[in-house]
Amino acid sequence: MVAQGIPEIGSYIAFLFVSTVALVIILRLFVSPRDPRPTPEKKKPFESGQIAAGPGRTRFIIQYYPYLLMFVVYDVIAMFLFAWGLNLRALGASGSVPVLVFIVVLLIPLGYALHLANHRENW
Amino acid sequence: MLTSPLFLEIVLFPGLLSIAIIGALLGWLERKVTARVQLRIGPLYASPAGGILQMFADLIKLSFKELFVPENSDAFFFIMAPTTGLVLGAALVGLIPFAPGLQIANIEVGLPAFLAIITLSPTLILLAGWSANSKFPFIGGLRALFQQTAYEIPLWLSALGVIMMAGTMNLGQIVNAQTSGWFILPQALGAFIFLVTSVAEMERLPFDLPEAESEIMMGWQAEYPGVLFLAAQGPGFVKLYAFSALFSVMFLGGFLGPSFLPPLFWMLLKTLLIIVLIMLLRSTFPRVRLDQLLRAGWTTLLTLAIINIGITYILVVGFPTL
Repeated sequence: MVAQGIPEIGSYIAFLFVSTVALVIILRLFVSPRDPRPTPEKKKPFESGQIAAGPGRTRFIIQYYPYLLMFVVYDVIAMFLFAWGLNLRALGASGSVPVLVFIVVLLIPLGYALHLANHRENW
Repeated sequence: MLTSPLFLEIVLFPGLLSIAIIGALLGWLERKVTARVQLRIGPLYASPAGGILQMFADLIKLSFKELFVPENSDAFFFIMAPTTGLVLGAALVGLIPFAPGLQIANIEVGLPAFLAIITLSPTLILLAGWSANSKFPFIGGLRALFQQTAYEIPLWLSALGVIMMAGTMNLGQIVNAQTSGWFILPQALGAFIFLVTSVAEMERLPFDLPEAESEIMMGWQAEYPGVLFLAAQGPGFVKLYAFSALFSVMFLGGFLGPSFLPPLFWMLLKTLLIIVLIMLLRSTFPRVRLDQLLRAGWTTLLTLAIINIGITYILVVGFPTL
Protein backbone atom coordinates (compact mmCIF):
# COMPACT_ATOMS: atom_id res chain seq x y z
CA MET A 1 0.00 0.00 0.00
CA VAL A 2 2.82 2.35 0.87
CA ALA A 3 4.72 1.64 -2.34
CA GLN A 4 1.52 2.32 -4.23
CA GLY A 5 1.19 5.73 -2.62
CA ILE A 6 4.56 7.15 -3.65
CA PRO A 7 3.79 8.07 -7.31
CA GLU A 8 0.46 9.52 -6.17
CA ILE A 9 2.27 11.91 -3.85
CA GLY A 10 4.56 12.82 -6.73
CA SER A 11 1.55 13.71 -8.85
CA TYR A 12 0.11 15.70 -5.96
CA ILE A 13 3.30 17.74 -5.69
CA ALA A 14 3.11 18.27 -9.45
CA PHE A 15 -0.46 19.48 -9.02
CA LEU A 16 0.54 21.99 -6.34
CA PHE A 17 3.46 23.15 -8.49
CA VAL A 18 1.31 23.68 -11.57
CA SER A 19 -1.33 25.56 -9.58
CA THR A 20 1.32 27.84 -8.05
CA VAL A 21 2.86 28.57 -11.46
CA ALA A 22 -0.54 29.31 -12.97
CA LEU A 23 -1.29 31.65 -10.11
CA VAL A 24 2.00 33.53 -10.47
CA ILE A 25 1.44 33.95 -14.21
CA ILE A 26 -2.11 35.22 -13.71
CA LEU A 27 -1.03 37.68 -11.02
CA ARG A 28 1.89 38.89 -13.11
CA LEU A 29 -0.46 39.63 -15.99
CA PHE A 30 -2.66 41.82 -13.89
CA VAL A 31 -0.05 43.68 -11.86
CA SER A 32 0.10 46.39 -14.49
CA PRO A 33 -2.09 49.47 -13.89
CA ARG A 34 -0.35 52.36 -12.14
CA ASP A 35 -1.74 55.62 -10.80
CA PRO A 36 -0.12 58.53 -12.72
CA ARG A 37 -0.64 60.99 -9.83
CA PRO A 38 -0.53 59.06 -6.52
CA THR A 39 -1.79 60.80 -3.40
CA PRO A 40 -0.65 59.98 0.15
CA GLU A 41 -4.24 59.58 1.36
CA LYS A 42 -4.77 56.58 -0.90
CA LYS A 43 -2.38 54.38 1.03
CA LYS A 44 -3.78 55.23 4.46
CA PRO A 45 -5.48 52.38 6.36
CA PHE A 46 -9.25 52.22 6.00
CA GLU A 47 -11.20 53.36 9.04
CA SER A 48 -14.68 54.03 7.66
CA GLY A 49 -13.72 57.41 6.21
CA GLN A 50 -12.09 58.75 9.37
CA ILE A 51 -8.43 59.71 9.45
CA ALA A 52 -6.60 56.69 10.85
CA ALA A 53 -5.69 57.19 14.51
CA GLY A 54 -3.15 55.28 16.58
CA PRO A 55 -1.31 52.11 15.66
CA GLY A 56 -2.93 49.67 13.25
CA ARG A 57 -2.01 46.61 15.28
CA THR A 58 -4.17 47.22 18.33
CA ARG A 59 -4.51 45.23 21.51
CA PHE A 60 -5.00 41.49 21.42
CA ILE A 61 -8.34 40.04 22.45
CA ILE A 62 -7.22 38.33 25.65
CA GLN A 63 -10.43 37.29 27.41
CA TYR A 64 -10.63 33.99 25.48
CA TYR A 65 -7.05 33.02 26.28
CA PRO A 66 -8.08 29.94 28.37
CA TYR A 67 -9.68 28.43 25.24
CA LEU A 68 -6.36 28.83 23.41
CA LEU A 69 -4.54 27.02 26.22
CA MET A 70 -7.06 24.17 26.13
CA PHE A 71 -6.79 24.01 22.35
CA VAL A 72 -3.02 23.57 22.44
CA VAL A 73 -3.42 20.54 24.72
CA TYR A 74 -6.56 18.83 23.43
CA ASP A 75 -6.01 19.31 19.71
CA VAL A 76 -2.88 17.17 19.94
CA ILE A 77 -4.64 14.60 22.11
CA ALA A 78 -7.47 14.26 19.59
CA MET A 79 -4.89 13.14 17.02
CA PHE A 80 -3.97 10.09 19.14
CA LEU A 81 -7.52 8.82 18.79
CA PHE A 82 -7.13 8.53 15.02
CA ALA A 83 -4.63 5.67 15.29
CA TRP A 84 -7.11 3.87 17.54
CA GLY A 85 -10.17 4.59 15.38
CA LEU A 86 -8.42 3.34 12.26
CA ASN A 87 -7.74 -0.09 13.79
CA LEU A 88 -10.90 -0.37 15.89
CA ARG A 89 -12.26 -3.45 14.07
CA ALA A 90 -8.96 -5.31 14.58
CA LEU A 91 -8.56 -4.24 18.22
CA GLY A 92 -12.11 -5.06 19.30
CA ALA A 93 -13.51 -4.39 22.75
CA SER A 94 -10.61 -5.88 24.73
CA GLY A 95 -7.96 -3.92 22.81
CA SER A 96 -9.87 -0.68 23.29
CA VAL A 97 -9.85 -0.65 27.10
CA PRO A 98 -6.63 1.42 27.46
CA VAL A 99 -7.93 4.02 24.98
CA LEU A 100 -11.27 4.28 26.77
CA VAL A 101 -9.49 4.76 30.10
CA PHE A 102 -7.31 7.40 28.39
CA ILE A 103 -10.41 9.26 27.15
CA VAL A 104 -12.17 9.15 30.53
CA VAL A 105 -9.06 10.34 32.38
CA LEU A 106 -8.74 13.24 29.95
CA LEU A 107 -12.39 14.25 30.13
CA ILE A 108 -12.22 15.13 33.84
CA PRO A 109 -9.60 17.91 33.51
CA LEU A 110 -11.33 19.03 30.29
CA GLY A 111 -14.56 19.53 32.22
CA TYR A 112 -12.80 21.49 34.94
CA ALA A 113 -10.91 23.63 32.40
CA LEU A 114 -14.19 24.36 30.62
CA HIS A 115 -15.77 25.32 33.92
CA LEU A 116 -12.96 27.81 34.51
CA ALA A 117 -12.89 29.10 30.93
CA ASN A 118 -16.64 29.71 30.80
CA HIS A 119 -16.34 31.98 33.85
CA ARG A 120 -14.31 34.65 32.11
CA GLU A 121 -14.26 37.04 35.06
CA ASN A 122 -11.64 34.77 36.64
CA TRP A 123 -9.15 35.83 33.98
CA MET B 1 2.41 14.55 -22.02
CA LEU B 2 -0.38 16.88 -23.07
CA THR B 3 -2.93 14.09 -23.47
CA SER B 4 -1.90 11.93 -20.50
CA PRO B 5 -4.82 11.36 -18.10
CA LEU B 6 -3.01 12.86 -15.14
CA PHE B 7 -2.20 16.08 -17.00
CA LEU B 8 -5.81 16.41 -18.13
CA GLU B 9 -7.01 15.79 -14.56
CA ILE B 10 -4.69 18.46 -13.22
CA VAL B 11 -5.50 21.07 -15.84
CA LEU B 12 -9.15 20.39 -16.74
CA PHE B 13 -11.23 18.32 -14.32
CA PRO B 14 -11.11 18.09 -11.30
CA GLY B 15 -8.11 20.42 -11.57
CA LEU B 16 -7.44 24.06 -12.12
CA LEU B 17 -9.77 25.16 -14.92
CA SER B 18 -12.85 23.51 -13.44
CA ILE B 19 -11.99 24.85 -9.97
CA ALA B 20 -11.83 28.41 -11.31
CA ILE B 21 -15.06 28.10 -13.30
CA ILE B 22 -16.96 26.34 -10.50
CA GLY B 23 -15.72 28.93 -7.98
CA ALA B 24 -17.04 31.75 -10.15
CA LEU B 25 -20.34 29.96 -10.77
CA LEU B 26 -20.75 29.37 -7.02
CA GLY B 27 -20.37 33.11 -6.46
CA TRP B 28 -23.23 33.65 -8.90
CA LEU B 29 -25.32 30.83 -7.38
CA GLU B 30 -24.88 32.22 -3.89
CA ARG B 31 -26.12 35.65 -4.95
CA LYS B 32 -29.07 34.08 -6.75
CA VAL B 33 -30.07 31.79 -3.85
CA THR B 34 -29.75 34.59 -1.30
CA ALA B 35 -31.78 36.87 -3.55
CA ARG B 36 -34.56 34.31 -3.96
CA VAL B 37 -34.80 33.82 -0.19
CA GLN B 38 -35.01 37.57 0.33
CA LEU B 39 -37.59 37.99 -2.49
CA ARG B 40 -35.13 39.84 -4.72
CA ILE B 41 -33.93 38.94 -8.23
CA GLY B 42 -30.16 39.09 -7.93
CA PRO B 43 -27.70 39.42 -10.84
CA LEU B 44 -29.66 39.87 -14.05
CA TYR B 45 -27.95 41.74 -16.87
CA ALA B 46 -24.56 40.12 -17.53
CA SER B 47 -25.98 37.42 -19.82
CA PRO B 48 -29.31 36.16 -21.19
CA ALA B 49 -29.41 33.30 -18.64
CA GLY B 50 -30.06 35.16 -15.39
CA GLY B 51 -26.75 37.00 -15.11
CA ILE B 52 -24.70 33.82 -15.02
CA LEU B 53 -21.64 35.68 -16.32
CA GLN B 54 -21.79 38.30 -13.55
CA MET B 55 -18.83 36.91 -11.62
CA PHE B 56 -16.70 36.76 -14.77
CA ALA B 57 -17.58 40.41 -15.41
CA ASP B 58 -16.57 41.19 -11.81
CA LEU B 59 -13.32 39.33 -12.39
CA ILE B 60 -12.50 41.46 -15.43
CA LYS B 61 -13.47 44.65 -13.59
CA LEU B 62 -11.35 43.85 -10.52
CA SER B 63 -8.40 42.76 -12.66
CA PHE B 64 -8.08 46.20 -14.23
CA LYS B 65 -8.10 48.06 -10.92
CA GLU B 66 -4.88 49.47 -9.55
CA LEU B 67 -2.90 47.27 -7.20
CA PHE B 68 -1.28 48.97 -4.25
CA VAL B 69 -0.15 48.01 -0.77
CA PRO B 70 -1.24 50.14 2.23
CA GLU B 71 1.48 52.15 3.94
CA ASN B 72 3.43 50.59 6.83
CA SER B 73 2.14 47.16 5.90
CA ASP B 74 4.25 44.07 5.37
CA ALA B 75 4.00 43.78 1.57
CA PHE B 76 5.33 40.23 1.26
CA PHE B 77 2.88 38.66 3.69
CA PHE B 78 0.09 40.99 2.57
CA ILE B 79 0.30 39.53 -0.95
CA MET B 80 1.36 36.02 0.06
CA ALA B 81 -1.58 35.25 2.38
CA PRO B 82 -4.50 35.35 -0.11
CA THR B 83 -2.53 33.79 -2.97
CA THR B 84 -1.43 30.90 -0.74
CA GLY B 85 -5.07 30.55 0.22
CA LEU B 86 -5.92 29.96 -3.46
CA VAL B 87 -3.31 27.21 -3.72
CA LEU B 88 -4.64 25.61 -0.53
CA GLY B 89 -8.15 25.59 -2.01
CA ALA B 90 -6.88 23.80 -5.12
CA ALA B 91 -5.00 21.33 -2.90
CA LEU B 92 -8.27 20.46 -1.14
CA VAL B 93 -10.10 19.66 -4.36
CA GLY B 94 -7.15 17.52 -5.48
CA LEU B 95 -7.82 15.05 -2.68
CA ILE B 96 -11.49 14.39 -3.51
CA PRO B 97 -12.45 11.23 -5.48
CA PHE B 98 -15.05 12.42 -8.00
CA ALA B 99 -15.45 8.99 -9.64
CA PRO B 100 -13.52 5.71 -9.53
CA GLY B 101 -10.07 6.70 -10.81
CA LEU B 102 -10.98 10.37 -11.28
CA GLN B 103 -8.87 11.72 -8.42
CA ILE B 104 -5.64 13.71 -8.55
CA ALA B 105 -4.06 12.42 -5.32
CA ASN B 106 -5.24 9.02 -4.11
CA ILE B 107 -3.25 8.98 -0.87
CA GLU B 108 -3.81 6.61 2.05
CA VAL B 109 -4.37 9.42 4.58
CA GLY B 110 -6.72 11.47 2.39
CA LEU B 111 -9.16 12.51 5.12
CA PRO B 112 -6.59 13.70 7.72
CA ALA B 113 -4.63 15.36 4.90
CA PHE B 114 -7.72 17.34 3.88
CA LEU B 115 -8.36 18.45 7.45
CA ALA B 116 -4.67 19.27 7.98
CA ILE B 117 -4.55 21.47 4.88
CA ILE B 118 -7.71 23.30 5.92
CA THR B 119 -6.17 23.96 9.33
CA LEU B 120 -3.65 26.30 7.71
CA SER B 121 -6.28 28.72 6.50
CA PRO B 122 -6.97 30.60 9.80
CA THR B 123 -3.21 31.07 10.13
CA LEU B 124 -3.15 32.71 6.71
CA ILE B 125 -6.05 34.93 7.72
CA LEU B 126 -4.22 36.01 10.86
CA LEU B 127 -1.14 36.70 8.74
CA ALA B 128 -3.19 38.78 6.31
CA GLY B 129 -4.78 40.73 9.15
CA TRP B 130 -1.46 41.35 10.90
CA SER B 131 0.44 42.42 7.78
CA ALA B 132 -2.17 44.98 6.68
CA ASN B 133 -1.38 47.28 9.65
CA SER B 134 -5.00 48.35 9.99
CA LYS B 135 -7.48 47.88 12.80
CA PHE B 136 -10.34 46.04 11.11
CA PRO B 137 -8.16 43.40 9.41
CA PHE B 138 -6.28 42.78 12.64
CA ILE B 139 -9.49 42.24 14.63
CA GLY B 140 -10.73 39.92 11.89
CA GLY B 141 -7.52 37.90 11.96
CA LEU B 142 -7.69 37.49 15.73
CA ARG B 143 -11.32 36.41 15.46
CA ALA B 144 -10.31 33.76 12.92
CA LEU B 145 -7.70 32.46 15.36
CA PHE B 146 -10.13 32.20 18.28
CA GLN B 147 -12.86 30.77 16.09
CA GLN B 148 -10.50 28.00 15.01
CA THR B 149 -10.08 26.82 18.59
CA ALA B 150 -13.86 26.48 18.87
CA TYR B 151 -14.54 24.26 15.86
CA GLU B 152 -11.27 22.43 15.20
CA ILE B 153 -11.55 19.59 17.73
CA PRO B 154 -15.26 18.78 17.04
CA LEU B 155 -14.44 18.79 13.30
CA TRP B 156 -11.67 16.22 13.73
CA LEU B 157 -13.68 14.08 16.16
CA SER B 158 -16.71 13.97 13.83
CA ALA B 159 -14.38 12.79 11.05
CA LEU B 160 -13.05 10.13 13.47
CA GLY B 161 -16.53 8.54 13.59
CA VAL B 162 -16.39 7.92 9.82
CA ILE B 163 -12.86 6.49 10.08
CA MET B 164 -14.03 4.11 12.82
CA MET B 165 -16.93 2.92 10.65
CA ALA B 166 -14.89 2.54 7.46
CA GLY B 167 -11.63 1.33 8.99
CA THR B 168 -9.64 3.40 6.51
CA MET B 169 -8.55 6.99 5.94
CA ASN B 170 -8.46 6.72 2.13
CA LEU B 171 -11.37 8.72 0.72
CA GLY B 172 -11.99 6.33 -2.18
CA GLN B 173 -12.14 3.37 0.20
CA ILE B 174 -14.46 5.34 2.51
CA VAL B 175 -16.85 5.63 -0.44
CA ASN B 176 -16.56 1.92 -1.21
CA ALA B 177 -17.27 1.09 2.45
CA GLN B 178 -20.72 2.68 1.98
CA THR B 179 -21.98 0.27 -0.69
CA SER B 180 -24.27 -1.44 1.85
CA GLY B 181 -25.54 1.82 3.34
CA TRP B 182 -24.57 5.46 3.51
CA PHE B 183 -22.88 6.66 6.70
CA ILE B 184 -25.46 9.44 7.14
CA LEU B 185 -27.73 6.98 8.99
CA PRO B 186 -25.35 5.49 11.62
CA GLN B 187 -23.37 8.74 11.72
CA ALA B 188 -26.30 11.20 11.76
CA LEU B 189 -24.94 13.04 14.79
CA GLY B 190 -21.45 13.10 13.29
CA ALA B 191 -22.81 14.44 10.01
CA PHE B 192 -24.60 17.25 11.86
CA ILE B 193 -21.43 18.19 13.78
CA PHE B 194 -19.35 18.00 10.63
CA LEU B 195 -21.76 20.26 8.74
CA VAL B 196 -21.86 22.88 11.51
CA THR B 197 -18.10 22.89 12.07
CA SER B 198 -17.32 22.97 8.36
CA VAL B 199 -19.57 26.01 7.94
CA ALA B 200 -17.57 27.59 10.79
CA GLU B 201 -14.35 26.53 9.09
CA MET B 202 -15.43 28.15 5.81
CA GLU B 203 -16.24 31.33 7.77
CA ARG B 204 -19.67 31.60 6.24
CA LEU B 205 -22.78 32.90 7.94
CA PRO B 206 -23.79 32.29 10.73
CA PHE B 207 -20.11 31.95 11.67
CA ASP B 208 -18.50 34.61 9.46
CA LEU B 209 -16.95 36.50 12.38
CA PRO B 210 -13.57 37.21 10.68
CA GLU B 211 -15.25 39.07 7.82
CA ALA B 212 -18.45 40.33 9.45
CA GLU B 213 -19.22 43.14 7.03
CA SER B 214 -21.71 44.91 9.27
CA GLU B 215 -19.36 44.94 12.28
CA ILE B 216 -15.76 45.16 11.09
CA MET B 217 -16.10 46.00 7.37
CA MET B 218 -15.11 42.66 5.76
CA GLY B 219 -12.52 42.15 8.50
CA TRP B 220 -9.25 40.78 7.17
CA GLN B 221 -10.22 41.53 3.55
CA ALA B 222 -10.81 45.24 4.17
CA GLU B 223 -7.49 46.52 2.81
CA TYR B 224 -7.20 44.33 -0.27
CA PRO B 225 -7.38 46.19 -3.60
CA GLY B 226 -8.34 44.92 -7.05
CA VAL B 227 -7.32 41.43 -8.01
CA LEU B 228 -5.98 40.72 -4.52
CA PHE B 229 -9.53 41.16 -3.18
CA LEU B 230 -10.55 38.54 -5.71
CA ALA B 231 -7.74 36.29 -4.46
CA ALA B 232 -8.99 36.83 -0.91
CA GLN B 233 -12.61 36.04 -1.83
CA GLY B 234 -11.93 33.09 -4.14
CA PRO B 235 -10.73 30.50 -1.58
CA GLY B 236 -14.05 30.86 0.24
CA PHE B 237 -15.95 29.47 -2.75
CA VAL B 238 -13.32 26.83 -3.50
CA LYS B 239 -13.50 25.71 0.14
CA LEU B 240 -17.30 25.57 -0.12
CA TYR B 241 -16.96 23.32 -3.18
CA ALA B 242 -14.31 21.10 -1.55
CA PHE B 243 -16.12 20.78 1.78
CA SER B 244 -19.45 19.92 0.14
CA ALA B 245 -17.68 17.28 -1.95
CA LEU B 246 -16.00 15.92 1.19
CA PHE B 247 -19.34 15.80 3.02
CA SER B 248 -20.91 13.79 0.22
CA VAL B 249 -17.88 11.48 0.16
CA MET B 250 -17.94 10.92 3.91
CA PHE B 251 -21.67 10.68 4.60
CA LEU B 252 -23.68 10.48 1.37
CA GLY B 253 -21.90 7.69 -0.44
CA GLY B 254 -19.86 9.89 -2.79
CA PHE B 255 -20.06 8.64 -6.35
CA LEU B 256 -22.27 5.66 -5.49
CA GLY B 257 -25.74 5.67 -7.00
CA PRO B 258 -28.06 3.92 -9.48
CA SER B 259 -26.04 2.80 -12.47
CA PHE B 260 -28.17 4.33 -15.24
CA LEU B 261 -26.21 7.56 -14.81
CA PRO B 262 -22.40 7.86 -14.49
CA PRO B 263 -20.81 8.05 -10.99
CA LEU B 264 -19.58 11.58 -11.67
CA PHE B 265 -23.19 12.76 -12.05
CA TRP B 266 -24.20 11.42 -8.62
CA MET B 267 -21.11 12.93 -7.00
CA LEU B 268 -21.78 16.38 -8.47
CA LEU B 269 -25.50 16.17 -7.68
CA LYS B 270 -24.85 15.43 -4.00
CA THR B 271 -22.20 18.14 -3.85
CA LEU B 272 -24.63 20.65 -5.36
CA LEU B 273 -27.33 19.73 -2.84
CA ILE B 274 -24.96 20.32 0.09
CA ILE B 275 -23.79 23.60 -1.44
CA VAL B 276 -27.37 24.86 -1.74
CA LEU B 277 -28.08 23.73 1.83
CA ILE B 278 -25.09 25.73 3.14
CA MET B 279 -26.18 28.75 1.08
CA LEU B 280 -29.67 28.53 2.58
CA LEU B 281 -28.07 28.53 6.06
CA ARG B 282 -26.39 31.78 5.10
CA SER B 283 -29.63 33.51 4.23
CA THR B 284 -31.67 32.26 7.17
CA PHE B 285 -29.52 32.51 10.31
CA PRO B 286 -28.20 35.63 12.09
CA ARG B 287 -24.52 35.91 12.97
CA VAL B 288 -23.42 34.53 16.35
CA ARG B 289 -21.15 36.37 18.78
CA LEU B 290 -17.58 35.21 19.34
CA ASP B 291 -18.13 34.21 22.96
CA GLN B 292 -21.32 32.34 22.00
CA LEU B 293 -19.42 30.45 19.32
CA LEU B 294 -16.53 29.59 21.65
CA ARG B 295 -18.86 28.39 24.39
CA ALA B 296 -21.05 26.37 22.02
CA GLY B 297 -18.05 24.84 20.30
CA TRP B 298 -16.28 23.83 23.49
CA THR B 299 -19.33 22.60 25.40
CA THR B 300 -22.19 21.56 23.10
CA LEU B 301 -20.34 20.50 19.95
CA LEU B 302 -17.46 18.82 21.79
CA THR B 303 -19.86 16.90 24.05
CA LEU B 304 -21.92 15.80 21.05
CA ALA B 305 -18.76 14.73 19.22
CA ILE B 306 -17.65 12.57 22.17
CA ILE B 307 -21.15 11.07 22.43
CA ASN B 308 -20.95 10.34 18.69
CA ILE B 309 -17.66 8.50 19.19
CA GLY B 310 -19.32 6.46 21.97
CA ILE B 311 -22.27 5.57 19.70
CA THR B 312 -19.90 4.64 16.88
CA TYR B 313 -17.81 2.50 19.24
CA ILE B 314 -20.92 0.57 20.31
CA LEU B 315 -22.02 0.18 16.68
CA VAL B 316 -18.65 -1.05 15.42
CA VAL B 317 -17.76 -3.33 18.33
CA GLY B 318 -21.29 -4.53 19.18
CA PHE B 319 -22.50 -5.13 15.62
CA PRO B 320 -19.40 -6.11 13.60
CA THR B 321 -21.50 -7.21 10.63
CA LEU B 322 -22.68 -3.68 9.90
